[in-house]
Order: sequence, then structure tokens, then C-alpha cells
Amino acid sequence: MGEALLSSKNQKILKDGFWDTNPITFQILGICSALAVTTQLKAAIVMSLGLTFVTAGSNVVISLIRNFIPPQIRIIVQLTVVSALVISIDQLLRAYMFDVSKQLSVFVGLIITNCIVMGRLEAFAMGNPPWKSFLDGLANGAGYSAILILIGIVREILGSGTLLGYHVIPASVYAQGYVNNGMMVLAPGAFFLLGIIVWIQRAISGYKES
Amino acid sequence: MNTSSTRYTFIFAIIVCVVSAVMLATFSEGLRTQKELNEELDVKRNILKAVVLKDPIAPKMKGPEVLKVYESKIEELVVDAQGNIVDGKTPKQLTEKNKDLFPLYIYKEDGQVMAYAFPIIGQGLWSTLYGYLAVESDATTIRGVTFYKHGETPGLGGEIEKEWFQKNFKGKTIYSVKEHKLTPTVVVKGKAADIVKGDALSYHVDGITAATLTGNGVTDMMARWVKVYDAYLSKVRKI
Repeated sequence: MGEALLSSKNQKILKDGFWDTNPITFQILGICSALAVTTQLKAAIVMSLGLTFVTAGSNVVISLIRNFIPPQIRIIVQLTVVSALVISIDQLLRAYMFDVSKQLSVFVGLIITNCIVMGRLEAFAMGNPPWKSFLDGLANGAGYSAILILIGIVREILGSGTLLGYHVIPASVYAQGYVNNGMMVLAPGAFFLLGIIVWIQRAISGYKES
Repeated sequence: MNTSSTRYTFIFAIIVCVVSAVMLATFSEGLRTQKELNEELDVKRNILKAVVLKDPIAPKMKGPEVLKVYESKIEELVVDAQGNIVDGKTPKQLTEKNKDLFPLYIYKEDGQVMAYAFPIIGQGLWSTLYGYLAVESDATTIRGVTFYKHGETPGLGGEIEKEWFQKNFKGKTIYSVKEHKLTPTVVVKGKAADIVKGDALSYHVDGITAATLTGNGVTDMMARWVKVYDAYLSKVRKI
């Protein structure tokens, strides 16, 4: 130990998860939710927060018990920890933040099946100490969130003409014959956007398929 | 320590199960009262929303205030399948077993009936939809509708919880005085005005783009519950 909390190694963990090995654009994980919950920005933000919290939390728990987990059943143990964490959060929200819990509705449950959570547990938390695992979870959550929120903004503006529920495209534009892009509300719209984002991100980060 | 022996694996698995189970059970039980209070409050808030109060409550209004308004304006009744009021029963006492008893909520302002409200439940595309339908004191014109619980796709079927969709129902009629028949509201595919003409417009509403099946679900539940409650409503309808 004796390592600074944000040593250069740890900073690299943060940068990797957010940018160099971004879960969506680099690892191509968590695509399902990136398509499902980004028709509106609000849902995208809520899902981002939930996933970041769960990834960081379960990374810590698994990292703490990593040396005791029998290798044959490690995936099941990971899944149990993730599910227990997600259900606990859901219960807490229902009791103390009922409005938020109503908006989240099905999304909370969706977090359990998000590949990023399991991916980070298996790839990182099983072999690293808790603090590093926590940073890794946080960074990957943030990387996922950034993409989700970006897609959410574009889809909500083009698909519904609103942002966080407020109208941003003036009525006069509609009067000129402008119509909302119906495809943006559907999954294909997200696919196209995602493809463009992956392209741009990889062009900047200089990633090459091996 | 050999972490891959069968014995160790079994013990570990059991410990993980017990710990998670105890944790989840504690959470669920410990928060039960609070969750139930929230749900009850949500139901009352939605009944108040469906009947469209003379002085609407603010969306952010706190629990105790909502309960106070509810207590003073809403009368809770239970009706049977023949439309008779069942004395001495309240909606709270109804259980799954009471298949032929239905809760009914009457909104009164200074002792005068303003609206009748009742729950509507049905299947959407992915999930069960829960809502309330309120009709004016003429027992014919829709005063308001809410959908407060569902698991439909946000932005698509999930739009049923939005103001724009719900306000389309206002002013539609569930009974045709001219033809003496029930006209439960139908959610069309597209714009109602493009699809039906004339009198039929009084019971057709705009659909949601890319959510036809959720719309069909709403149509089905309207048909079902309007028929059930007509047993009572036909008795109070003044024609």
C-alpha cells in the first residue's frame, strides 16, 4: 500500500474507463441500454447515475471478497452481489424518493443485466484492490454516462423537439413545415448515432482494430 | 485455503445466499410501511388528478396536504356488478377475492356531486397499465383520465402518462345519448380527426406514434371498465 489515492496509476484507471477503453465506444458493451433509454435525456441521466453507482459499488464488494470466491461459481456470486445491490437501491428509492423511483420504473431492474457491470467485475475487480476497483467502476460509469447523455440530447431534440421535457424547437419552425424525426425515437436512430459517435471517438483516440 | 474444493464452494455459496437473503428481506420489511404510505398517497393523488379539482393541487404538494384535500372532497364507495352501492364497505377492504365488487370515488364540492372516478386496469404492450377515469356528474362526459403506473417504453408507449395524451380524453363521451349505447373511448393509430368523422369523433382520441399496441391496450381497458361501471353510472345518468 502506501500509494497516493490519486497516483498516476490510479489516474490512468480513471482515464482508461472514461476515454481510452470507454465501455461503449471501445468495449462495445451496454449497447442495449444505450438504445433503450436514450429517447429522452432525463431517462438517460437517471440510468447513467444508477449504473455508475452500481458498477462502482459492486466493484468494491467483489474486490473485497475476490480472494475468497470459488472460481467455479464466481459469475453467479458476482450476479448475486449485483442483484442484491440493485434491489436494495430500488427499495430505498421506493421508500424515500418515490417520484424518482416512478420515473426509473423498469430501468433499475435493467441495470442488473447491463454487461458493463459484469464486465468490470470480471475484468477488473476480480484482480485488483477495492480502491482501484472503485475508481475503475466510477470511470467506466462516467464513460458510459457521457455517451448515453450525448445520445439522449440528440435524440430528444431531433425526435421530440424537446430537451428534458421543455420545448426547444420554436413553434415558428414547425409552422414552416419542420417535422420531428420519427426515426430518432426508434432504436435505429440510436444505432446510427452510436455508430457516428464510435467513429469520432476512435478517430480522436487513435484506436485501431487489431 | 483451497477455494476450489467442492466443500468450500458449497459453504461459500450458502453464505452468499444467506447474507443476500437476509439483507434483502431486512430492506424490504424495514421499508414496508414507508413504501405502502407512498403508494397509498400516490393513488389518492391520482384520483384527485383524474377528477380535476376546482382548485387543482400542485404536483409538488406534500403528503399531508394531499390527504387533507382528499378526505374533504372524495367519498369512497363500493359498488357491485349490478351497480348497487354496497353499504358499509370501503375500497380499502376489497381484496383479490372480491371479483364482483368495484371501488368508486365520488368527488363532491359543497355536497354537490362533481365527478365519478374509478380505476381502470389493463394490459399494454409490456406491462399492466393502471389508471383512473373520471366522468362528469352527467355520468357521460369524461372529466379526466390518468395513467400512473406502467412499464411501457419511455418516449413511446410511456407517453400515456403525459399530459398531452391524457388531455385528449377530456370532453369525450362514454355514452351516446342519440344511439343509446356505450361508446368507450378508442385510441386510434394516428390522428383521430383523419380517421373518423362526425359523431364518432366524440369517442376517438389520437394515438401515440410507434406505440400502437399500447394504444390498443388502452382501448381494451376503456371498453372493459366503462362497461363494468355503466351498471352504476346508468342509474345516475340523467337523460
